Amino acid sequence: MINIKNLSFHYKKKSPLFNDFSLEVESGCIVGLLGKNGAGKSTLLHLISGLIQPKAGKINVNGFVPFERNPNYLADVYMVPEEFAFPPISISTYVKAFSPLYPSFDSQKLHDIFKEFELHPTSNLNKLSHGQRKKFLIAFALSTNCKMLVLDEPTNGLDIPSKSQFRKILVSSVTDEQLVIISTHQVKDIDTVIDTVVVIENGTIIYQENTDEIAQKLYFDLVPSLAGIENVLYHEQCTLGQRIIVPTSNGNESSIDLELLFNAIINKTI
Amino acid sequence: MNSNKFFSFSRFYQLLRNDILLNYKKYLLTIAGAFILGFIVTNAQMPNYMDNDSTYKFDSSSYMTLFVTCLVGLGAFVGSAFSELSSKIKTSNYLHMPASTLEKFLCQFVIRALVGTVIFLFIFWVDAHLARIVSLNHIEYLNGQPAGPEKYDYIEKFHYSMLLIKSKYPFVTNWKLFEGIGMILIAFSTGIFLFSVKIFFRKLGLIKTGITLVATLFLIMFVMTFFSHLFYPETKGLDIANIDYTLTNGYKNSEILLYSIAYIAPLFLLPLGYFKLKEKQL
Repeated sequence: MINIKNLSFHYKKKSPLFNDFSLEVESGCIVGLLGKNGAGKSTLLHLISGLIQPKAGKINVNGFVPFERNPNYLADVYMVPEEFAFPPISISTYVKAFSPLYPSFDSQKLHDIFKEFELHPTSNLNKLSHGQRKKFLIAFALSTNCKMLVLDEPTNGLDIPSKSQFRKILVSSVTDEQLVIISTHQVKDIDTVIDTVVVIENGTIIYQENTDEIAQKLYFDLVPSLAGIENVLYHEQCTLGQRIIVPTSNGNESSIDLELLFNAIINKTI
Repeated sequence: MNSNKFFSFSRFYQLLRNDILLNYKKYLLTIAGAFILGFIVTNAQMPNYMDNDSTYKFDSSSYMTLFVTCLVGLGAFVGSAFSELSSKIKTSNYLHMPASTLEKFLCQFVIRALVGTVIFLFIFWVDAHLARIVSLNHIEYLNGQPAGPEKYDYIEKFHYSMLLIKSKYPFVTNWKLFEGIGMILIAFSTGIFLFSVKIFFRKLGLIKTGITLVATLFLIMFVMTFFSHLFYPETKGLDIANIDYTLTNGYKNSEILLYSIAYIAPLFLLPLGYFKLKEKQL
């Protein structure tokens, strides 16, 4: 569980990124952390994972203060960064070197994910493509069974089949005790896996909602034109007509168009 | 399972294992490179001819010069610790590794400073003996006859005690515990400086640390010049007032100052490095 209270943070000689920021997220969900460039998503992930220290306020993750970098906390947090570097070793050597540091590491799970992602333990990490290396890192992260997984742009660099494999593997391997935070701009890649949407802008949360509640409140549709449609909360033109968001009526539910929802939130129509 | 948040032997073992698994090729290449380079340098310094009129002898002072030169190599190895902090991406991975700051600090210290020093001393010893054998064989080859006991006049047999105990051409005039330990600590302090201050820098850490070391030495000189001007107004320019005197126990005041710094410095430098690592941010 993440509990952030009155967080303030700014980089050296820069204006405040977070000021009196608060956030609470329970375990057992996959959170989609969305926001425009420079909104503070990556900084928030760094704060949560203990890589940087808040200027003021409190962060508590599963009973630990992240920046204290208690080894028991670090053994239960795994971060897949947007950019990464590996030593020039094979996948199996990497696993041999790092897996013992994670007490809940599941080798069988890793083996299964490797199969799904078509990764071979004998391959040299630095000879793999960016996408393959990312798949390896995601596979390793999921196999650690850490209580918190932080994924920064996890689908960047993945090909189309790998993106659907990623969604399938993520949903099937995350347990109720785990919390997954996904920060991404590729909202379409994760719209079927997340169950909580958090949107931040200028260091504040402008939207935080469970996907079930979103589906109960909002209806996403594609219509040829806006003629005759009332209460349109947000619309965007596309080749087939208009993508719209309207309030849900008669208990009808639709699948969430996360990109449209995000644009509506950013344009403050929701 | 929650284990000790400061130090756990099993975690420390895993961290050491992790470092060796990731870097063993680099370490083996460094050892092999140091061995070959050490041999070439040592052998090149040794005489390879026998000339009764020659005054060139390879004795303890020659070994000492060579040893101090080779110590620079050890300094470079020790100063290349925490290579994981050389970029933001690597730093992020390193700080996220499930081990305490103390374990991470000790792991680098054990591998770079302790094991590195032991291996360095062994390599230097082997190189010194090997280079001597090769040089003596070369002398024999050039002379066409086996070199007799006089060969010891040309190349003395190396042993570490010759660097500190009084000998024919002594580097240290008498064995004194304070001096001996002081000299070892000067080398140790320099190593610890390179090891700890490196944590402050990201890119080109070793070079920046070296520059910091030189700057610190200059700062000490500057402070001494300042005090010389303050207490001895007759001091000119950047001179340091010559106020050397010998104490009743035979030590010079400058020796006491130098060795005191060497004794005390690690007490500050090691915690400095540890706390810098603890507070390290991306």
